[in-house]
Order: sequence, then structure tokens, then C-alpha cells
Amino acid sequence: MSDIIKEEELVKELKEKFGAVIENASITRKTRVWIDVNSDKALEVMRFLKTKGYYHLSTITGFDEGEKLGAIYHITDHKTLVNIKLRTSKTNPVLKSVLEVYPVATSYERELEDLFGIKIEGLPEGRNYPLPEGFPKGVHPLRKEVKLEELNKMLDEKCAKEE
Amino acid sequence: MSKIQIPLGPQHPALKEPENFMLVLDGEQIVDATVNLGYNHRGVEKAAENRNYIQDIYLIERICGICSHSHVSCYINAVEEIAKAEVPQRAKAIRTLVAELERVHSHLLWLGVAAFELGYDTLFMYTWRDREQVLDCLEMISGNRVHYGINTIGGVRRDITKEQAEEILKKIKFLHERTSYYVGVVTEEPTFLARTQNVGKLPKDVALELNAVGPTARASGVDIDVRRDEPYFIYDQLDFKVITHNTEDVFGRAVVRVLETIESYKMIEQILKNLPEGPISVKVPWKIGPGEAVFRYEAPRGEDIHYVKANGTEYPERVKVRAPTLANFQSIPYCLKNGYLADAIITIAAIDPCMSCTDRAVVYDYKTGKKEVFDWEGLRKYSIEFYKKKGVSFK
Repeated sequence: MSDIIKEEELVKELKEKFGAVIENASITRKTRVWIDVNSDKALEVMRFLKTKGYYHLSTITGFDEGEKLGAIYHITDHKTLVNIKLRTSKTNPVLKSVLEVYPVATSYERELEDLFGIKIEGLPEGRNYPLPEGFPKGVHPLRKEVKLEELNKMLDEKCAKEE
Repeated sequence: MSKIQIPLGPQHPALKEPENFMLVLDGEQIVDATVNLGYNHRGVEKAAENRNYIQDIYLIERICGICSHSHVSCYINAVEEIAKAEVPQRAKAIRTLVAELERVHSHLLWLGVAAFELGYDTLFMYTWRDREQVLDCLEMISGNRVHYGINTIGGVRRDITKEQAEEILKKIKFLHERTSYYVGVVTEEPTFLARTQNVGKLPKDVALELNAVGPTARASGVDIDVRRDEPYFIYDQLDFKVITHNTEDVFGRAVVRVLETIESYKMIEQILKNLPEGPISVKVPWKIGPGEAVFRYEAPRGEDIHYVKANGTEYPERVKVRAPTLANFQSIPYCLKNGYLADAIITIAAIDPCMSCTDRAVVYDYKTGKKEVFDWEGLRKYSIEFYKKKGVSFK
């Protein structure tokens, strides 16, 4: 008997309910479900998962794939971890805030804004996190085009100017 | 009386690490609180992308000085999942042993810090004296007190001898007795009770909504523990209880931590008495992937989660770290509200905050761009020169 029955049932249920919104569903091992979701419908999928007991948003991982930016929402009921991947274009990166479903997302979403430059629609204004105040505007260090040496050089020059 | 706003931190005598709380006070009572983080960002995630998998072990170990083994284990499990490495049972047992020794040292450290914040310095001295015993165990196994360097991809780097196992069991027996005494202190001592009961309340439904983790959640009656819910290493073979408490306050968080320490002693005994025979590591290729994995780990402070993406080279494409403190910080403003200013510090300390984990990452000399390595003498000389320039006289 397969030991991933619960995971398979969840994927089946999501596909039946949301159809083409769910793409590339895969189960990499017991307790690990990965799905790509159309970013316009992501909130509906998350709201549905929350009613199923997936109340815990562990974190949000931003990523840079070259042409696209994106984020993975790691959501769990403490037994199964569902990883929801959303993608957005690099030229105009925008994702909707998930605060109405997961009120703890504030700092994770600020990380996306600071480190990847993804604009989060619906995230209230606030101070930088985790980058310090006065960090060069428009530089998002975890993007692939930002090279470590150049970043260090730029920060050194900035500090020298301020001295 | 009008409300006043006061900043607590980022530099404050009562806080051990840089973090800032803006407290709105009405007299002595806190009516609103906000948390500001990010004073300690070192850029670990970017640095990890520019180092190979083996170098990253040492970088990630240095995310935190207290739960260094937790972060490495979490990272390494994700890497091994992508590489499909079969880690030998003996290596898993040794990893579990170090993990539980680390939990003991972290919880004893916390108990001392909490006692110190309450002005109860005798307990602080006691627990930190006893904590030396567990640090001695870790030093004996790994050669280091805090950054053990025991993990490598595919297993562990050092084996445990029979004599070492016996020595650890002896020390654990002593610590078990001492901790039983602390259970008494925490649950009966009037000073401790007066300062912790009904302070920093976090009701169960709020803890669930704010996604609290670890002892903070368990003290609010949320029955979660990654070691049981999603067993890794050899936790599925060990007999242990998940400690929860229903008082939902700072007192509950203290009780959960001391009782958890006792559970850790029981686990350490079970591991050492049934240490599986066999090799301690397997070879894993330098180039890993492509693939991605995410791993959850029960660190002393709660759920630690790492995501690793591999692209088939020896450098990871992406490493993401979320330390338990960041998850628990969401509940601090709630705990502080309607409490008193005098209780603010212990309420903050009750989640066992760890800022270096939360803000993460690389240090270099801003002024000149030069990278210089100081030895102890050099560093001392530099600090004396620095203060001399400021007009401090050294005779």
C-alpha cells in the first residue's frame, strides 16, 4: 500500500476544485506536496487549504529564475507540507499579499520586497526588513544579476562617502 | 494622562541582541507595541549561493552560536534529500545525540537568562555552572563547545567511543538530578511564580493564528513538535513525551522548557545505550541536483525550516533559512499588550529570542574595503588604540 495516500488525495481534491489553476503537482516524498498555482487565484487556493487545517505558514521563499521571479509559500498542518509556487514577470514583478489569509506573512513578504524587489500589493507601508535603513534603493541583493563582488564594492563606496 | 511612546532597543542594557520594540505606554501599562527587526543582517543567503555545499556547512553553522547544529542539520537533510544519499543509522544516531545535547545546553542557558531578567541571579549562576557539564560533553565529542562541526554531507565526521559514551552518561545523570531540582524551583519558588504567572498571556487560539512554534506554542497548549509529527534522524525509534502546558503565560514557557530538558536526558540515555554499529558516513558527489527540497527541524526554539535548490553544480542555486525566532516574534506584540513595562523584558525573553538567527548573514571592514584578519593580540591592540583616540587613558 502506498504511504502517500493523504498527499495524493489532497492533490486530487485541489485539481477537482481548481482545475487548470493548479499545474505541475508533484509529491517528492511522504509529507511533501509541490504545486504551481496561477498567481491570480493563489488566495483562493490558500483560503481553501486553511479550511482544510493547513493553518501554519512556515515561511515564504523568494526565487529568481532568470526571466521570472517568484515565491514559494510553505504551508503545513504539521503533518504535510504544501509548497505553493507563484511566478511573476521580472520586468514588472507584482504579487498579491496573503495577509488576509495568513496574518503572519508581514515579515516574509517584506523580505520578498527587499531582497527580490517583488512589489506586494496590499502590504501596508513599513520600515525595511531585513535590509538596513539607507541600503541603496533599487538594489535587491538576492537577484541573480547582483554579483557579490559588485555588491560589496558598492556598499564599500557608499560607506566611504558617508564617513 | 497622555500616552507616551518609548523605544526599547536596539541598544538597551536589558536586551542581549539588537532588536527594537516601540512601546506605547499609558502610565505603567503597555497599550501598544511594535517590533522592528533587521539590525543584524549579514547576507548569509547570498553568501551561501557563492560557496559550495561543503563550505556552506560551516557558513550555516555560524548563523547561530546556540543552535548551530540545528541549522546545519536542517540544511544538510535538504541537501541529502536532493542527492538521494542514504545516511547510515549510526550517523543518524550521533546527529540525534548532538541535537539533544544542544537542546539541553540551550534550555539551561535560557533558564539562566530568564532568571537573570527576573533579578534572580542565584538561579542564573546555578544553571550556567551546570550548563558547563553539557558543553564539556559536546567538546569531548566534537572538539568544540558551540560550533561542533560534526555534520558532513552523507553522515558525521567523528565517531563516539565507548569511553566517551560512558562519560556522557555520567554527566547526564548529574544534570538530570540538577534539572529535577530546577523543576522544583520553577514550579514552587514564590519569587519565580510572582514574576511569571499571568504575565505575557498568549491564548491558544491566538498562538494558532499567529503561527507560534516550539516551547512558546506548546506552553499555550498547542500540541506540535516536528520530532514527533514529521520524524527525522532516529526520533521515530525513541520514546519521548511532547511537553505541553495550559497556563499560556511565561510560567508555562518555563515549565515546558525544564520538563523538555528532562525528556532530552531520557533520549540521550536511550541513544547511547542502543548506538547502532556500522559506518558513520557515505560518500556524496560534490555536484548535486538538479532538484529542490525543504526540511523542517525542531530546534530548541521551535520549528526551523530550510529550503535548498540545487542546479547540478557544486554551488546551490538558492538557500533559504527561516529561524524559529522570526516565527515567534509575531506573537510578542500580543503578549506585551496590556502588560506592565516592568514585565516587558521577561515577556520578550520568554520566546528565547535569537537575533543572529533571525537577521542572518557576512562581515567585512566597511571603512577601507580591506579584509584583515586579527589575532587576539592584534585585536586587543586595535581596541586600545581606538579608545586612546577617544581620550581614554591606559596606564
